[in-house]
Amino acid sequence: MSYAYLFKYIIIGDTGVGKSCLLLQFTDKRFQPVHDLTIGVEFGARMITIDSKQIKLQIWDTAGQEAFRSITRSYYRGAAGALLVYDITRRETFNHLTTWLDDARQHSNSNMVIMLIGNKSDLESRREVKKEEGEAFAREHGLVFMETSAKTAANVEEAFINTAKEIYEKIQEGVFDINNEANGIKIGPQHSPTNPSLPGAGGVGGSQGSACC
Amino acid sequence: MEYFKSGLKSVLGGPPPGTQPTGPETVEKLVSRVSTSTLLEDRRDACRALRALSKKYRLEVGAQGMDVLRQVLELDRADPEIIGYCLDTLCNITSKEIFEEERENDVNPNLNVGEQFSEMFLKNPENLPVILSYLEEYDFRVRWPAIKFLISLTTCKPKEVQEIILVSPMGMSKLMDLLAENREVVRNDAVLLLIHLTKSNANIQKIVAFENAFDKLLNIISDEGYTDGGIVVEDCLLLMLNLLQNNTSNINFFKEGSYIQKLTPMFVLPENLEEIGWSPQKVSNFHCVLHLVRTLVSPNNPAQIITSCQKTLRNANLLEALCSILMASGVPADILTETINTVGEVIRGNLTNQEYFTNVLAPSNPPRPALVVLIMSMVNEKQPFALRCAVLYCFQCFLYKNEIGQELVVQTLLPSSSGNTAVTTGQLLCSGLFSNDPLSNWFSAVALSHCLIENPAQKEQLLRVLLATNLGAQPVTLLSQCGVFLQHTSKLQAKLGILMLISMWMAHCPPAVKIFLNVPGAMAFLTAQTSASEFDNNAELLQGMCAFIMGLCVLFNDNSVQNYSKENLSQLIEKRVGLETYCKKLNEIARHELYARAAKQPQIRAKHSSELLLEFEFCKLFKIMEGSIIQALGVQRDLSNGISELSLSEHENALLLQYKDLIRDQDKKLQECQRKYAFLQKQFEDVKAQKDELQQTNIQLIDQHTLFKAQMSSGANINNLENHQNDNSAEIIENLKAQLAKKDEELADKIAELESYQKDQDDLLELLTAQDTKLNKFKEKLRQIGALPKEEDSNSEISDNEDDNKPSLL
Ligand SMILES: Nc1nc2c(ncn2[C@@H]2O[C@H](COP(=O)(O)OP(=O)(O)OP(=O)(O)O)[C@@H](O)[C@H]2O)c(=O)[nH]1
Ligand SMILES: [Mg+2]
Repeated sequence: MSYAYLFKYIIIGDTGVGKSCLLLQFTDKRFQPVHDLTIGVEFGARMITIDSKQIKLQIWDTAGQEAFRSITRSYYRGAAGALLVYDITRRETFNHLTTWLDDARQHSNSNMVIMLIGNKSDLESRREVKKEEGEAFAREHGLVFMETSAKTAANVEEAFINTAKEIYEKIQEGVFDINNEANGIKIGPQHSPTNPSLPGAGGVGGSQGSACC
Repeated sequence: MEYFKSGLKSVLGGPPPGTQPTGPETVEKLVSRVSTSTLLEDRRDACRALRALSKKYRLEVGAQGMDVLRQVLELDRADPEIIGYCLDTLCNITSKEIFEEERENDVNPNLNVGEQFSEMFLKNPENLPVILSYLEEYDFRVRWPAIKFLISLTTCKPKEVQEIILVSPMGMSKLMDLLAENREVVRNDAVLLLIHLTKSNANIQKIVAFENAFDKLLNIISDEGYTDGGIVVEDCLLLMLNLLQNNTSNINFFKEGSYIQKLTPMFVLPENLEEIGWSPQKVSNFHCVLHLVRTLVSPNNPAQIITSCQKTLRNANLLEALCSILMASGVPADILTETINTVGEVIRGNLTNQEYFTNVLAPSNPPRPALVVLIMSMVNEKQPFALRCAVLYCFQCFLYKNEIGQELVVQTLLPSSSGNTAVTTGQLLCSGLFSNDPLSNWFSAVALSHCLIENPAQKEQLLRVLLATNLGAQPVTLLSQCGVFLQHTSKLQAKLGILMLISMWMAHCPPAVKIFLNVPGAMAFLTAQTSASEFDNNAELLQGMCAFIMGLCVLFNDNSVQNYSKENLSQLIEKRVGLETYCKKLNEIARHELYARAAKQPQIRAKHSSELLLEFEFCKLFKIMEGSIIQALGVQRDLSNGISELSLSEHENALLLQYKDLIRDQDKKLQECQRKYAFLQKQFEDVKAQKDELQQTNIQLIDQHTLFKAQMSSGANINNLENHQNDNSAEIIENLKAQLAKKDEELADKIAELESYQKDQDDLLELLTAQDTKLNKFKEKLRQIGALPKEEDSNSEISDNEDDNKPSLL
């Protein structure tokens, strides 16, 4: 139950791109075929392991509908990571990415890790946005990129875990002030909060070297 | 009008004009000084003076000063002192409270004046963000009054404030930062403000939780000494309650964030508690904590949430802590009661927790199971009513979805082999069942009935229970004794309790029906009650219940009692009671107010013992069985009808055509109705829109009216001699009043119109349903005589639905 770190995530993007499905696949390993429109924000959580450390992810799945935009903005500030999702079968969801990104950059803390996700990769026949386009957008804006399918679970674990890895590395580099809760990071109860440079900062390099998975 | 005149008289009544300015005159002068003076010092003094007058002359200060005060807030940002005066003044005029000073001024102060000024202030959407920005000002003279002003506004107009804060950037974040305040008064008022703001608004609740509210609040609570702390602990707990109640997402967050574990210290009772006793604040704090735990495992939450919270509560040793409070001495009765309820919900439907509870021992000599001790209190007339109810609820929770527990209790009633002499739950319930206290009868009957829910094995086991009645007489079965007691007791509560037990017992259990049918006089009693016609003191419940039992005797009859076969009983109901009367009596139950109340939630909620007649699980059973009973009685009639139809089968073709025509006809009518319905709905929407518009106008008029009233009061003062102007204002007001009255009338007309449309719509809907039913019946009949093929495209919708629901006959 106890964890070394706790990271707060938000999931953002147009309505219907599959944000809630991604979360459900990640927390419950289920897929929900009907669009159950999110009202406001819903919470989900899961434990993962990085570098043999337990990390608790607290994830806020936001509503993509315009009407909820002002509510969902309240969640940017306290998040350490964001999954910015578009739907590869609907170009307009890709076109809206800049708006989302501007919004996120404006309201979040500058260190927030943003992972760009092209979802519904299982629907290859209906693809409207090429994978290369997603990659290009990510490169241009300094984001990590990945195509996923909430339906087949392809890359879903990776999307959440890689985001956590980024955050974890930033912590190691000392970029994040982990004692400031507004950054969306908490240290686990058994870890000393007075030691921000962290247990085994040297060991990280070693484990990175041996990380094969 | 009167209000102002009398108000003015008291102000003007004293010295002749000219010697001393009146209050309203002063207000007028001050307001003008604030708005025109170029010297900050002057403005500041005027604001300070306005603040001093803002209670006594609230109406004048509000009506004349609001705009000016708002200006100061924007222009004099740099001077904390004047901002503080401004915020204080605004806080006073928008307060919901009626001040002493106001009362001195006027015996009949306007109750809504605070609300009206709040509304005026909020009407301009730019105003609130200005106040929010002052929360970032660290200066005590600014931050504190800003919070208090926000409390005033939120108390008066919660919805409006919530909406504005949600759309103002970082609005909630600014509020949340206040919890980190090191000046206690400020922090405590921030907690109060958040309590008001989070009331019934899930979006705000979630944002507050996201902003680490639970961490911050639990920190405050622990700093203040947990439940030994002062009222701020209670406030923090109330805020946490607001965040969790009916908010699954937040409950999930609370659990996942390991906050349940952090509640543990609150349940630790000090060793010497008996000596130091429970302060009233401690009692309040404790109530809140218990309420908090119950919110996590409330039966209204999704099952998955309940189960995981229950598990966490057990693993965090909170169940253990709760049970020890249950068995501790010196705990006040209302805390004990609430603890019992809480334990109940923590174990409800959770086998592991229920099992844990079974093994809890009371520290008596010799140690007895806690369960036994609790049941002792339940059947003890001297215990407080609420506590006895709580014990029953806890017991029900213990049995809920717990076959092992059910068996355990029933076992203690069976002829025992062990020769154990210790008092058992079963024995206590049995003696409670037939004691002289009708409430004990009711409690015990309901408790026993819960041992039988969805448990056919225990229904049969309980049939084996024998009671020794008189010395030397043959022992009788528990069920027959219930049948006998039912006829002997004169208390309605006792009768209904027993009847609920019997109904739970006999449902799906023919052997129980058999025994009951053999109880001398039982059937005669039921028949007499069912056909009785008195209607007072809830007698209709008794009659309905007897009808219900008769129905169960038909439904679950294995024809093993000669005079009371299925057929015989149906005849009895039809001939002696009459099907119509029978159905009417049966209906009485579900129509009863107490039924609605009992069916709402599993917990037994009653202020007084006389309200305890029906119970949750019984209501569930009744709902399921009612239809089957009516069907069982009706179906038999239909069968005989069906036979006669079949004998007409030579005319099959003619009949078929006839029905087909009929169906086509009805289909047409149905479409017509649907068209009309859509039309009316549209009209209804239009009228509604009109109504809303009118209401809006009305509100505006009322506002104008208030403003005029206030302006006039001051106007009248200054121009005391110029009466004509006064008259002028009076005229305007009269005019406005007339307009208002007219609008009111218009509104009333529109509402009436709306209602009539609504009624039309309902009628149409009813008609539609009736037609639907008819149509189905016809089709069913057609199908029975085999004339109607399964697929029919002519009236697709209805037939499709039906085919989906019923297994096909073909
Ligand atoms: N084929 C396929 N369908 C998906 C996938 N992910 C989501 N969907 C479908 O897309 C629809 C929308 O998914 P949601 O997760 O509810 O969308 P959302 O982004 O949460 O939408 P909002 O809550 O309105 O913001 C649903 O019908 C899903 O079944 C996917 O990976 N593959
Ligand atoms: Mg969603």
